[in-house]
Amino acid sequence: MLGPAKAMKPFAVASSSRAPVIAIFLTFALISATTIALSVSATKASQHRTSVIQVAARQRTLAERYLAEILLVREGKQANPAYTARALTASATSLLEGGTVPGVNGDDDETSLPPADGHVLRAQFAQEQRLVADLTSTGQAVLLHRPTANLPQTAHEHVSQLEPVMRVRVLAALTSSNAFRAAQEIGRVDEANLNNLLKSQVLLGVGGLLVTLLLAAGLLATARRKSAHFRSLALSASDLVIVLGARGCRYVSRSVAAMVGRSDSDLYGEGLARFVHDEDRPVFEAVQATGAPSQFSFRMLSSAGEWRHLDAHATDLRADRNLRGVVLHARDTTDRVQLEQQLTAQLQRDGFASRLGEALEMADEEREVANVVERAAIEISEQTPMELLLSDSSRANLARVASNPGTEAPGCPVKSPFSCVAVRRGTAVVFDSSESLNACPQLRGRTSGSCSAVCVPVSFMGRALGVLHTTGPEGEPLSGKTVSQLTMLAAQAGARIGTVRAFEKTQLQASTDGLTGLGNRRTAEKRLRELIKSGRLFAVVLADLDRFKQLNDTNGHEAGDRALRLFSQTVTQALRDNDLVARWGGEEFVMVLPELDRFQAIEVLDRVRRDLAVAHPGETPRFTASFGVSDSGQAESLEELLHIADGGLYAAKKAGRDRATVGDCESAAQAKKEEAARLMDSAEATPLPESPGDQNGIPTVRHARASMHEAAYEEDPPPSGVQIR
Amino acid sequence: MDWTVVNALRALAAFWAAGLLGALAVGCDDSARGPRPTASIVPVAEGDFHITAPSSVRAGGYTFRVHNEGPTHHEFIIVGTRTGVLPLRPDGLTVDEESIERLEPGSLVPGAPGAVRNLTVLLKPGRYILFCNMEGHFMAGMHAELVVA
Repeated sequence: MLGPAKAMKPFAVASSSRAPVIAIFLTFALISATTIALSVSATKASQHRTSVIQVAARQRTLAERYLAEILLVREGKQANPAYTARALTASATSLLEGGTVPGVNGDDDETSLPPADGHVLRAQFAQEQRLVADLTSTGQAVLLHRPTANLPQTAHEHVSQLEPVMRVRVLAALTSSNAFRAAQEIGRVDEANLNNLLKSQVLLGVGGLLVTLLLAAGLLATARRKSAHFRSLALSASDLVIVLGARGCRYVSRSVAAMVGRSDSDLYGEGLARFVHDEDRPVFEAVQATGAPSQFSFRMLSSAGEWRHLDAHATDLRADRNLRGVVLHARDTTDRVQLEQQLTAQLQRDGFASRLGEALEMADEEREVANVVERAAIEISEQTPMELLLSDSSRANLARVASNPGTEAPGCPVKSPFSCVAVRRGTAVVFDSSESLNACPQLRGRTSGSCSAVCVPVSFMGRALGVLHTTGPEGEPLSGKTVSQLTMLAAQAGARIGTVRAFEKTQLQASTDGLTGLGNRRTAEKRLRELIKSGRLFAVVLADLDRFKQLNDTNGHEAGDRALRLFSQTVTQALRDNDLVARWGGEEFVMVLPELDRFQAIEVLDRVRRDLAVAHPGETPRFTASFGVSDSGQAESLEELLHIADGGLYAAKKAGRDRATVGDCESAAQAKKEEAARLMDSAEATPLPESPGDQNGIPTVRHARASMHEAAYEEDPPPSGVQIR
Repeated sequence: MDWTVVNALRALAAFWAAGLLGALAVGCDDSARGPRPTASIVPVAEGDFHITAPSSVRAGGYTFRVHNEGPTHHEFIIVGTRTGVLPLRPDGLTVDEESIERLEPGSLVPGAPGAVRNLTVLLKPGRYILFCNMEGHFMAGMHAELVVA
């Protein structure tokens, strides 16, 4: 039968091993106490009985002496039977009831007796008392020569027939015999009691011995088992236990030897201290000598040449007889220490990374990004020469945009991103020495002499933007930590530069006409509103390419596009820097000429027309343009100004094209009237002629209106002077 | 508690139990022993100082069951006599047992008060005297006559 599993409780050893010890002591105490009590009580009883036996035996002598004294007195001799009679009576009373027995002349001393115990003995002593009484009364009668026949026979003796002296003799014999038998009986009982006492003491002794042996055996077995438990525990524990005595190491647990990879014998004595780190040896020796401090850390050199970090707890047991040393309980914290170091580095890096990220987020332009990179460079390493080389939008040329302000820039002579090995590889490259065989050729021949270098590519969405380049002393490249910081800087800066560039490009596209590269209508309106608001003088010109629809139809859209681009270039070149030309829509353009009135504008436009006429059109057919002009002196609102210029354009078209005409209110009204009529007719008759829409392909009202001027002109036969090829 | 301790205590209990049973067995022993009476029983009462017994029996084997009623020790001696008078020793106090030894079918040494003892004898027809010959007992009246027919 299997009982419930027994829990191994090695540390409960104290309480469970104490139990058998206590049981042994209790058994001993019980047996000893019982034996002693038995002996004491038996001895005491025996002493009492001895006194009783003495007194009882004396009765025999006294009875015989009494008889002899009576006879002597009858012979006329000197004797004192009355004294003996008193002694007999007192003794008989004391034998029965206890008390003091008087001594007899020349015989015993005074004796004290206990009362007789047991009804047999008491009956016997009572009979003795009666016999003594009869004896003394008969004796007295004989001495006084009185008749004895009628004396009482209290002891049921039948002696009335005997003559007086014989009666005294018989009674003395009865008294004597009775006392003697009683003494004999007491002695017999005493002997039996002593035998019993002896037997029980022997039994107790043997029993106690057996029990003690059993308990001791149990105790030994338990102790052995516990010690086996502890041995197993101590051997299997991973805790490192070291005992330091006055003359060095006295004990190392198996785990210590395993950790440092050395044998026990290497570590005993002064051996252990040899493997302790020099910096830790003073505290180690202090612990060995004084047991303090109780908590400390030290390092030990393992056989693999590695420093093991140990956290130790010292317990001063030099006063303990069993140990006589300082006990170190140590834990191997090497892994933890290494992890802590890694985490600390990681934390520093993360902190730097997040601050860098925030700084870059606030940089809206490439210039600001470069500025952040410079400040980050100082934080990474103040003394390390560093520069950021970025390609321009063509991605063909590299130029330095940032450098560590604290030092001279390394000055990498690389020209193109794809000449840079770091950019080509797309990963950070570390060069130990500019002189080694596999060093980057760009590092050689620098004025600062030979050096080490770290180059980290800067890219965005897989597109190379440039390189982050640092140099250091020959043969001493930057640490892994610094390289990882530079890599992080390059990655974040690249992401930001890419974002800024994409943003700038989007901004540009929104305000630019894709075909001609000029500003669009929004750009022009914005500029006009600014000028109106400033109250400064300016001229507005609306331009329209003549017979553009015809040109498109005859020569194709590509020719039309080329014409539009040629016109744009010509106008742009002819105008001043602060003039604006923008595509209004279709083949119509708007020009804003600050600080000119409408007449001065006509002069400018004449020059434009001349330039256009001599411009080399390439495959593009020659074409002309018409211009309508207004100025800020003519109206105050943007719509009005444009309306007047539109009137000028209408007039120019009507007057035969290829000219510039100043608009006025009349021509504007005329143009409006014509337009309304045309709009109505053409809406009834034919759909609107096909024309290029604006950038989004949606015809605007302005566009439709402009095209209608042209439609109106188309009705007239083309002037003979205009050649359309 | 640990098994060794339990075992030890168990052994201790067994030891005491065995001791107790042993003691009881010893105590019972006396009552189981004793001679079995093979003849007719003659009850005899002894006391201070008398012997009470039947005055006549038929010849044959008898077991005298002698009860000492006390309070003192008493002997029991049976002796044949022709005259009915027993010779005394020179002290004049006790019967001269040596001279009548051959006439004694049997005797019991002094017994403690309360004791009951058996004496089995083969009685031939004749006169017998039952008596106690302790100092003065015979003289104090401890004798009785038995006639065996």
